[in-house]
Amino acid sequence: MNTIKHKPDVLIIGGGSAGMWAAKRLKERAPELDVLIVDKGGSKWGGLMRLSGGDFEAVLPGEDVNDWVKDLTYYWDGLCEQDVVADLFRRAYDRLEEYHRMGCGSLTDEEGKLRGVPQRGLPHVRLYPTKFKGTGGQVMADAMAKEMDRLGVTYLGRVQISGLVKDEKGRAVGAVGFDCCTGDFLEISARCVIMAAGPASWKPGYNGNTSTGEWVRLCFDGGCKLRNFDTLTVMNAPRKFFWEGQGIYLAFGAKFVNAQGEDFMARYSPSIGSNTDNNFICRGMALEMKAGRGPICFDLSGVPEDRMEFVRPNAGNQLLNHTKLKDAGINFLTDTDIEFIPQVQLTNGGVWTDIKGRTGVPGLYAAGRCRSIDYIYMGGFGLSSTAVTGWIAGDAVADELAAGVGWTGLPRGQVERLREALYAPMKRSGGQMPHQVLRKLNGLMARYDVCLLQSEESLTAARAELGRICAEDLPEMCAPDFHYLAKYNEVEGIAFLTRLFLEASLARRESRGSHYRVDYPKRDERYLGWFIHTKGGAGEVLTEFVPVPTGRYPNPVDRFYTDNFRFDAE
Amino acid sequence: MIQHIDTERCIGCGRCVRSCPLDVIRMAGPFARIAYPEDCMTCYLCELNCPAGAVFVHPFKAVPPEVFPGILEKKEGDQA
Repeated sequence: MNTIKHKPDVLIIGGGSAGMWAAKRLKERAPELDVLIVDKGGSKWGGLMRLSGGDFEAVLPGEDVNDWVKDLTYYWDGLCEQDVVADLFRRAYDRLEEYHRMGCGSLTDEEGKLRGVPQRGLPHVRLYPTKFKGTGGQVMADAMAKEMDRLGVTYLGRVQISGLVKDEKGRAVGAVGFDCCTGDFLEISARCVIMAAGPASWKPGYNGNTSTGEWVRLCFDGGCKLRNFDTLTVMNAPRKFFWEGQGIYLAFGAKFVNAQGEDFMARYSPSIGSNTDNNFICRGMALEMKAGRGPICFDLSGVPEDRMEFVRPNAGNQLLNHTKLKDAGINFLTDTDIEFIPQVQLTNGGVWTDIKGRTGVPGLYAAGRCRSIDYIYMGGFGLSSTAVTGWIAGDAVADELAAGVGWTGLPRGQVERLREALYAPMKRSGGQMPHQVLRKLNGLMARYDVCLLQSEESLTAARAELGRICAEDLPEMCAPDFHYLAKYNEVEGIAFLTRLFLEASLARRESRGSHYRVDYPKRDERYLGWFIHTKGGAGEVLTEFVPVPTGRYPNPVDRFYTDNFRFDAE
Repeated sequence: MIQHIDTERCIGCGRCVRSCPLDVIRMAGPFARIAYPEDCMTCYLCELNCPAGAVFVHPFKAVPPEVFPGILEKKEGDQA
């Protein structure tokens, strides 16, 4: 194994939407800067953006940003930093326009006006679908990759970062990692570092061995404040295959039905019904299954024909998936017996930063899904928030560098310790492969009484099971080659993120947003705030509660989306 | 999940290797081979990027972990 040294002005960890937008902003502000992006995927693949639908949320010119802030304060049950969200959406339309200039168009009507789709039954929030149904994310990823070439950004693929490096004053001065194919050790000394990783997830999307979470441990060890780990995105997904975009279908009249053909969400929420977030629907699914009214199927018959253009795949991997499923005897658009089950995907938990993406660790910024903003997900927020928070972090770093921050070099002792720790798992023989341990962690999280209908008892039992996995399985995990070493680090990260999820979920003794406790089924205003996790002096997880500073926000916190639902009636 | 790379058709261009987000495919001599099948997430990028039609990805995903352990799961769908 070789050691390869890099010395960019800025290191960006994660080459998806947020990382590339940060790089774009940096190079536009200061073209002389040497900007290095590293990513675990292939070079310039563009992160999860490439697999996204291409939907983008934006406040259009002439609309009032504060209307969106009010919507989101309500939708997130008050856990909304109103100034941060206003800043984000004030900048979203400019990013959408830049996409249009790069050739990534949105769906428009005959007059050329953008065709918006309301989200989650909210009065103002809208996403704007791509005109490239089925390849929207791919078109955007390709456009941004081209921008990276045009602007002279260096993008290294198949690199996993294993540790942040700080100087004696506590400033982030770089990172170390390795090439997942060759195993070469990378030492990267930088003037500033931007963490732009994707969501912390057990299995994003396709139910495969694709979990990500090592950045959670990295940021925790690096001294960041973490929050919102009591949140989840639990997806209503077909049991056998993958299909995305249910949020748009629901907005146009699709419904989930139980074995009796009943639109059961109308019972749990007469005001909103099925046109809501996955988490609420999955909670309803779990209650229906428990009551013996399963299986749950998806009913598209309520979608009017003139809206089917939003639904029907016509290109890319979505069309290929549709075609292959039809070959296998499944027509997603017309079959009425496709079974859906809740599948836990990810947490919205991440790094708590200030409005400019500063983490509190000097020199370290966060952008994208690893910067925690939303308390419940909504369609189009991913591409929009990652583009904007990437842009914000790039802008803020350009400011800091203009003030004259230099390189301080990487402390050798720290680098050597990180290097030794990184390769240590490769010396183990036999034992369990990372995906075998991941399967156990995913099995723990998948249970309905852990991810949907929680209680002190079920969460405590899950914590005990996690303790067993950490004590018995993790020490057995091995990494026979560098590919598996990357997987090893991911699974260790997932174990840590599962711990944060269980701690935060036990601490929140109420129900709010995606967090539902059968033993505390009501909202409790004493919990109007965030659980923040930091690393203690002995390496322990410290958890503190920070109330929402309602006094300094323009809008009152007096309406709550959760109040539209009654799940405790049965 | 990825099922098959046809060596009769594979031209060894490496596009599937480069496009796989999860490093599932590697080159083995003149051909691409499935090196880490358990990591495939059925994104189809390899198949879409193959100029020779050599890659086949099956649309069914791995059997998911049980959501309602023991009592409530419908079992006949589990063969996927």
